[in-house]
Amino acid sequence: MTKYIIKRLLGIIPTLLVIITISFFIVRVAPGGPFDGERALPEVVKRNIEAKYHINDPLIMQYGRYMFDVLRGDLGPSYRYKDHDVNFYIFESLPNSMILGVIAISISIIFGITSGMLAALRQNTWVDYLSMAFAVIGISVPLFVIGPVLQYFFAMKLQWLPTSGWFTSGDGWKTVILPAITLAFAHFATIARLTRSSMLDTLRSDYIRTAKAKGMKNSTIIFKHTMKGTMLPIVSYLGPAFAGIITGSVVVEQVFRIPGLGKFFVQSSFNRDYTLIVGVVIVYSVILVIMNFIVDILYSLLDPRITYK
Amino acid sequence: MNLLPKHKKPLQTTNEFDQVIVGNSLSKDAWRRLKKNKMAVISVVIVIIYILLAVLAPVLPIYPYDEIILDHQHLKPSFVKNAGQLLIEKRMADLYTQAWRQERLTLSTEEDDMLWAWIDKNEANKVWDYMFIEGNKQLAEGTFTFNKAEQRTLDNLQRKLKTDLQITVNKIWYTPVEGKKQNIAKLPVDTIAGLYAEMIGSTSEIEIEQYSREIEQQLMKTIKTQNVGLSEEEYALLLEKEIEGLSKKKHDALIRENVLAKIKSRAKEIAASDLKEAATDESASFPLNKEITIKGPLSADVKATKMHERRYYLGTDNQGRDMLSRIIYGGQVSIAIGFIGTITSVIIGTILGALAGYLGGKVDYFIMRVVDIMYGLPYMLLVIIAMAIFGRNILNLFFALAIISWLTISRMVRGQIMSLKNQEFIEAARSMGAPTWRIIFRHLVPNSLSIIIVFSTLRIPSFIMTESFLSFLGLGVQAPFASWGSLVGDAVGGMTLYPWKLFFPATAMTIFLFAMNFLGDGLRDAFDPQSKNQL
Repeated sequence: MTKYIIKRLLGIIPTLLVIITISFFIVRVAPGGPFDGERALPEVVKRNIEAKYHINDPLIMQYGRYMFDVLRGDLGPSYRYKDHDVNFYIFESLPNSMILGVIAISISIIFGITSGMLAALRQNTWVDYLSMAFAVIGISVPLFVIGPVLQYFFAMKLQWLPTSGWFTSGDGWKTVILPAITLAFAHFATIARLTRSSMLDTLRSDYIRTAKAKGMKNSTIIFKHTMKGTMLPIVSYLGPAFAGIITGSVVVEQVFRIPGLGKFFVQSSFNRDYTLIVGVVIVYSVILVIMNFIVDILYSLLDPRITYK
Repeated sequence: MNLLPKHKKPLQTTNEFDQVIVGNSLSKDAWRRLKKNKMAVISVVIVIIYILLAVLAPVLPIYPYDEIILDHQHLKPSFVKNAGQLLIEKRMADLYTQAWRQERLTLSTEEDDMLWAWIDKNEANKVWDYMFIEGNKQLAEGTFTFNKAEQRTLDNLQRKLKTDLQITVNKIWYTPVEGKKQNIAKLPVDTIAGLYAEMIGSTSEIEIEQYSREIEQQLMKTIKTQNVGLSEEEYALLLEKEIEGLSKKKHDALIRENVLAKIKSRAKEIAASDLKEAATDESASFPLNKEITIKGPLSADVKATKMHERRYYLGTDNQGRDMLSRIIYGGQVSIAIGFIGTITSVIIGTILGALAGYLGGKVDYFIMRVVDIMYGLPYMLLVIIAMAIFGRNILNLFFALAIISWLTISRMVRGQIMSLKNQEFIEAARSMGAPTWRIIFRHLVPNSLSIIIVFSTLRIPSFIMTESFLSFLGLGVQAPFASWGSLVGDAVGGMTLYPWKLFFPATAMTIFLFAMNFLGDGLRDAFDPQSKNQL
């Protein structure tokens, strides 16, 4: 097990290197620099700026310098915003995205598993149909439709919740509800469907029949025996779910005006702010890779049949 | 030597009871199961309707999706009222509300409170609707009358609505004193320039010189945008080169284009002023389609409709474009990207997956490592970067999506082919000396087709969602083109005042995605009944 963990940890490094390399080069190859504004800068000014940011060095040298800096944890200066460097902006906005993401994934797991289990235990009753209808909606309706629609009904028509903003805007925790639900919806749906089908499978397996034959209490069978078997496909879905939450937050932060990393990302890709884009991608990738790693370990803990060498 | 008794080969296979045995293939069986699934059948119908609408969009009787009519900004969807009636209503509701604010139109205290509550809640639409009904009632009862200024604005609007025309000039004809009528687009340049000169009272030489200069200016503009930061002399040199490079024919063609456009716009002006009179004194009936003499020997085929008699069943957007046609054309873009993107990614994925699965060894290792690493990437973010950098157009979007979405299919095909490659029929093919490509593409891939089809169907909605996601962020399809995502994205800002802009494209898109998902599920259950209810 320890060996496997170490091996998986080492496997993370090439992935991250590839990510940094791809995003670095994709951005440099691009036509047009960050300083090509509407108005042409005077020649001298332009040259000075380029010298300051080492834009005219050979690409390979820029790459080497950048890699070295990133490994030290320094993501460099922002090309667009002069006051602070990339690290500052990322660490200012990352916590907001993290809070949103964690709440969203918790909502989708808790509600997804509950409604999936109810659907499986009450198969072919209205409970089943209702939760599966919800799940189909969640899978078919894109979150940039769900978000505005929720905003329209709950914030504008009913005025129960604020339309946009974040903790600092005075409405407190209420601002989090709508964006978190929006972000959670698609994953809630998938988790509910997965739980239902996996639970139905498990309930029909031999060891559950044995447990029933032994006269165990129904609740013990469900929560102790069935749960463990049911969780496997859900845990393996969590990896893609994290990735989805990260990309989804780009839209949700746009719709609900949340000062998170996603909003930064869209802005900086319009501005061609090279270092900021690459910085955001690296941060996202690190989170994603770590999450995938945790999911893998969890998976092996849940299923003793899986052995890693 | 044949010892067995000779008999005719039976045409049909029969069992021991002489009953005909009909062969059953996987696809036939799947089709039978699919037909039993009600939701899947409904979905097939819906998908076919959508595809027909998207394909037939250019011949459908809808307004062009990029036709901007600024007078018609943000009109409500309506089946019974045309644009003019809606405009009048809007203006009247506005006047009533103003009058209420100035306390010339009095309501009961409860009504006042209700209206103020609506205003506090930003529900201007409700206020206007209420005021329109209430105002009309009071106007009929005589408790409220418009003052002179208001009456005048209403009259002016009425007149404008009656006389505003939308005119398109199709062909312009030239009828010489003696000779046949000719389409001027087919005349030589000098003649056209001469005609235009006559129209505005100058000579053809002056005109041609004028246009040469205009073309120079146009060229200069393109040169300047292509090469930034040169001196004036360098620009002049480039321009000279460019003009030398233009052949006489091309030069003439450019001039012809310019002159024709001028004549056309002139013809439009003349026709507009003629027809406006006709519309005012109601001597002509609209829509009208006839030939109108412009000046001297020139005449034009003119089509004129009353601009404010247009009907917008799904309302209009912020530039007065018809939402119905924007949604249909947006669907065209979205569906096309969904299908073409899926096909491309399936082809890439199938080829790579098949190669990896069949060849094994180093090829397999290499392809699967690439897939592994790409799985670890936040690919959506890379697509966003790529779109921001390489320009936001449909082609780039489509490439960016196709490149990242072949991963899952390649894994699935690889697994399927690995399980197939040791079966007897492959053994047989190999021992008969079939080349590798033939074994892969004639034997293995067709046998994996069912999983490929099922996967593709489920892939299309996710492709459409991704495309719309990017368009929503403003990184996908650009105006004047539309896609469902960009329509929703444009609507989010003003959704309290103009909810139809959000509602209709979102519904159109959701129905299609629903249908595609149900169809995909149905196909999967049909091809693999064991997988029922699995994700």
